[in-house]
Amino acid sequence: MSRFFATGSDSESEESSSADEITPKAPGTTLKQSLLLSDDEEDTKRVVRSAKDKRFEELTNLIKTIRNAMKIRDMAKCLEEFEQLCRAFLKSKNIVDKEGVPSFYIRLLADLEDYLNLLWEDKEGKKKMNKNNAKALSTLRQKIRKYNRDYETEITAYKENPQESADEEEEKEAGDSGSSSDSDDDDDDDDDGVSAKAFLKKKPESAPDASKFLKSSKGSGESSSSEDDDEGGWGSDPVGSGSESSDEDQGKSASLAVVFLKKTHESEKSADKKVSKRKKIKKEHLEEEPEEGEGEEVEGGWEKVKGGVCLVKEKPKMFAKGTEINIPVVVKKLNEILQARGKKGTDRAAQIELFNALAAITAENNLGQGILVKIKFNIIASLYDYNPNLAAFMKPDMWKKCLDCINELLDILFEDNNIFIGENIAEDSENLAISEQPFRVRGCILTLVERMDEEFTKIMQNTDPHSQEYVDNLKDEGKVCNIIDRLLDYLETKGSTEEICRVYLRRIMHTYYKFDYKTHRRSLGLPAESKSEQDQDESEGEDSAIIMDRLCKFIYAKDRTDRIRTCAILCHIYHHALHSRWYQARDLMLMSHLQDNIQHADPPVQILYNRTMVQLGICAFRQGMIKDAHNALLDIQSSGRAKELLGQGLLMRNMQERNAEQEKIEKRRQVPFHMHINLELLECVYLVSAMLLEIPYMAAHEFDARRRMISKQFHHQLRVGERQPLLGPPESMREHVVAASKAMKMGDWRTCHSFIINEKMNSKVWDLFPETQRVREMLVRKIQEESLRTYLFTYSSVYDSISMHTLSEMFQLEIPTVHSIISKMIINEELMASLDQPTQTVVMHRTEPTSLQNMALQLAEKLGSLVENNERVFDLKQGVYGGYFNRDQKGSYQQKHGGYQRGGYRNQNQNNY
Amino acid sequence: MAAVCGNADVFTGRVPLRNPSPSFPRVFTTQAASVRAPGPVISTEMASTAGTLDSPVKQIQIEGMVVLKIIKHYQEEGQGSEVVQGVLLGLVVEDRLEITNCFPFPQHTEDDADFDEVQYQMEMMRSLRHVNIDHLHVGWYQSTYYGSFVSRALLDSQFSYQHAIEESVVLIYDPIKTGQGSLSLKAYRLTPKLMEICKEKDFTPEGLKKANIGFEHMFEEVPIVIRNSHLINVLMWELEDKSTVADKHELLNLSSSNHLEKSLQLLMDRVDDMSQDIVKFNTYSRNLSKQQQQKHQYLQRRQQENAQRQSRGEPQLPEEDINKMFKPPQPPPRMDTLLIAGQVNNYCQNVKEFTSQNLGKLFMAEALQGHN
Repeated sequence: MSRFFATGSDSESEESSSADEITPKAPGTTLKQSLLLSDDEEDTKRVVRSAKDKRFEELTNLIKTIRNAMKIRDMAKCLEEFEQLCRAFLKSKNIVDKEGVPSFYIRLLADLEDYLNLLWEDKEGKKKMNKNNAKALSTLRQKIRKYNRDYETEITAYKENPQESADEEEEKEAGDSGSSSDSDDDDDDDDDGVSAKAFLKKKPESAPDASKFLKSSKGSGESSSSEDDDEGGWGSDPVGSGSESSDEDQGKSASLAVVFLKKTHESEKSADKKVSKRKKIKKEHLEEEPEEGEGEEVEGGWEKVKGGVCLVKEKPKMFAKGTEINIPVVVKKLNEILQARGKKGTDRAAQIELFNALAAITAENNLGQGILVKIKFNIIASLYDYNPNLAAFMKPDMWKKCLDCINELLDILFEDNNIFIGENIAEDSENLAISEQPFRVRGCILTLVERMDEEFTKIMQNTDPHSQEYVDNLKDEGKVCNIIDRLLDYLETKGSTEEICRVYLRRIMHTYYKFDYKTHRRSLGLPAESKSEQDQDESEGEDSAIIMDRLCKFIYAKDRTDRIRTCAILCHIYHHALHSRWYQARDLMLMSHLQDNIQHADPPVQILYNRTMVQLGICAFRQGMIKDAHNALLDIQSSGRAKELLGQGLLMRNMQERNAEQEKIEKRRQVPFHMHINLELLECVYLVSAMLLEIPYMAAHEFDARRRMISKQFHHQLRVGERQPLLGPPESMREHVVAASKAMKMGDWRTCHSFIINEKMNSKVWDLFPETQRVREMLVRKIQEESLRTYLFTYSSVYDSISMHTLSEMFQLEIPTVHSIISKMIINEELMASLDQPTQTVVMHRTEPTSLQNMALQLAEKLGSLVENNERVFDLKQGVYGGYFNRDQKGSYQQKHGGYQRGGYRNQNQNNY
Repeated sequence: MAAVCGNADVFTGRVPLRNPSPSFPRVFTTQAASVRAPGPVISTEMASTAGTLDSPVKQIQIEGMVVLKIIKHYQEEGQGSEVVQGVLLGLVVEDRLEITNCFPFPQHTEDDADFDEVQYQMEMMRSLRHVNIDHLHVGWYQSTYYGSFVSRALLDSQFSYQHAIEESVVLIYDPIKTGQGSLSLKAYRLTPKLMEICKEKDFTPEGLKKANIGFEHMFEEVPIVIRNSHLINVLMWELEDKSTVADKHELLNLSSSNHLEKSLQLLMDRVDDMSQDIVKFNTYSRNLSKQQQQKHQYLQRRQQENAQRQSRGEPQLPEEDINKMFKPPQPPPRMDTLLIAGQVNNYCQNVKEFTSQNLGKLFMAEALQGHN
């Protein structure tokens, strides 16, 4: 609008257009968008126009600089600008393709070449040039020669008729700003076809007329005022002429020149003509749309639009001439809107509004559910389309809209049993009309819901997990679940098994990681504390375990895609593990054989697998299966990348290794915060398990030279602890575990216990378990048992016999337990002792090699390797070839020999019993 | 003369001044040696013995006082694995080296890095001379920890001693064994072979091979006789008579296995070192043979090419410095390995000795048991 008030400066028109670009997003847009037909054409046009404008303005500006440089013989500058010009021209290639090479460009090329040739021949002048310039000149000359080869025809054409162009140029230089906007206008009208083609095609007579009317109405509205007081206004107002000419010539490049010529020579005349034309158009318009009641005054019509005529009243304008609104018309319209989808210049927000309007009209006119469903599908699809970037997430209002829309759609689908939807229904075979036959609509509600779910994940990923916003967003999870539930109900009656599997998986994905508190409480025999109605509602629902079981089993039975089944199994295991059903979880994991082939799965499934394994390990720990817990957690923990493997964050050190693209992909894989597994808990569980396994093992194999480590990470922590120059009281979880390990080494279970279970550790780790007390009791028990074992390993050589009573007192274990532990150790040949039943004592046999014997054994081993090495040297002396094989045999002989010796030693031991 | 000397020794504790001219005190510098060279009796005698025997010294006679002084030195200064050292004084009589006196070196600490050992020795010997005590430098002594003394440091210093003063010996005193009831004092000299090698400083495998030296031939032990005055001998007999049976039984005590353990530990460490050295040597010899092969191939190729060129009448390729192209790998010094082997041998001897003693004691105890 400002354009018509504008003084014609280029920048201003651009500003206004850019302002227009923004306005659709402003709150007031609703109204304006609804007026699309009558008014917005102008807007769309301008949006497009600005792009042209920019390009051509850039070109002309560059050309101007080049000409200036030519005048002052600044070749360096000339070269620089020329290169820029080429680049700019390349950028605007698509425009140029459409329209042909702009003549001003050709003219410059021709002039420049001539000029350069002239300079080149001027030997005198060349000598005077400084070095830089001379160099630039030669480069430029070569460049332009090469470049001009592509435009030979145009240039010859220009050279044949330079007069016209020269005129044009004068004109151009006179009204420079005008020219740029002029040239742009030309394309605009072409481009108009892109955005507003739909309208043009649909109402071939009315649409252009209407647009013209609008323009002219505006123009004439202004004409009285602006025409006389502001000539520049005309300079910047070739819109009319532009559009006219394009109407006439359909945007031939030549037309530009014609227009300019016309303008320069008969500007008066054209102005007159324009006015008259406008009047004519106005008349037409008046004739055409009297029924709209806006015809009294052109200005009035304009002002009304501006002033915000209420929505309902404007809406019929979609079908402006009051055509009878029926299904074919609506479908046609829908298709038109759809065609603009995905194109560059399309305003996506506007599209959504359009769809909404269309839906409202349809509803108003009772065109039946079929068409409504179809429109709804499109609305949701375009909501998803709103963000062109896959990584960006939906804005909250869009998200709300999307949820509402899907809910409405589901409402309709539930209400009306006669609607068939499906992806496989061809566009042609759709049945949208109200008839006896059921509606057939193309579209897949499942895909939409899945997409919605993904969007939800994306929103959660992109929200700061420690903000209130996250909590607010998380509240929507209920809605999402609700939608999935409804869809599940719907598809259970209508959908194919494949679809059911997919929706089941969605449901599972929203269930598996949630701890079912009410079932838990019920299983504990506590009365369900119903503090609020909501709680009651919840407690009436099915157990999540039962749901999981039902859904997963269906998928196991019916699914044909491997991925869904894998995910379902993993979720099922996770859920089992989360609820401490260790054996079910373990059996399912083993039965599925997922460990063997999980490395072939895609990363998200692998992340799910890792999560499941971790959960399984934690579950085993809670059940007191220390070894299983350790084994399950070993892979994740030993890598040191637990965070990354669980999809709970990116590691910093990898920053150099991956580029931005990979990082984006990885970010998309992250698990939302509310599903995270506490990493400290994980590490603590792992370390404590390792401690319970490793410390007795270390004590048992103190002298074994070839002792292997059970857990490298645990050893690492121990070493870190040892390296401390000054050992203060433990602060972090790791320090606690290390301190506890040291206490356990001495068989001091009380200290160990106090390091593992105390206020700090409770708040950091143990309280995170649902059954805190039980876990703690289990832990104490394990610590006592393992401490006893460690004690026996370490100090058995000091004792001749120990009373089991003493041991039971020392470790606060019942005698039968002590008895069983010692028996086990004896059976496993870990402890050379026997039980004396009547006195309840353990009698030690001194069969453990003394330290001297141990040392002798070690020495023997070392000597063995020495001999082996020596033989290698000898082999080399004997000859390089052949000796190697012999050596291997010798080596094995050596080993065998050693083994025999050791075996003999063992035998001796056993004989001693 | 020896008898006279011995007598004088017994009664006065003094050795008559043999070299009345105020010559330079004897330290282990070549200069000192040359100063001392025109000494009276010895040089001619040595020449005669050297012809028939490997070493100029066949026997060592130590004064009881020297032994006591060494023991006292360790008792007061040495602790644990720390080593004490000192200088031996005496003179050579025929093929017998008599050690009549000694004085200790002060312990080294980080603080007095600028301590001048040579200066100290000179001062010490000069002072001793002033009080008419034997002041001729004939070697040095060192305490040891579980018999670990065969080291590069010992080799180097003994070499320089022996290089300067031909008859010098090193006396190794083992305080731990001594503590167990049997005085352990051993005198060692480097064999002439080893002296040759050390002189040439050729420790490469080839050099050692050429010298045909093994760890057994590195050191030669010289028998020691401890000589006391008759009065002391009389006193000893008297003490022996007086001592109770319980005191004597002390000798039958089976010493703790701690000694064996320590020995084993040290032995193991050495074996480890040895293994490493062998691996190093192995790599070296492999590299060497590989290179030899390459060299050989290269030469063959060159020959063939030259033959071809000759047949075509072209000039031959110039002979390049083949050693430049194939730089032989740095041979690992083998001296350390030899020393380690010597040390290992030493440990083994120790252990053997120790165990055989213990076994003997055990059998004795068994017999006693049976008798009772």
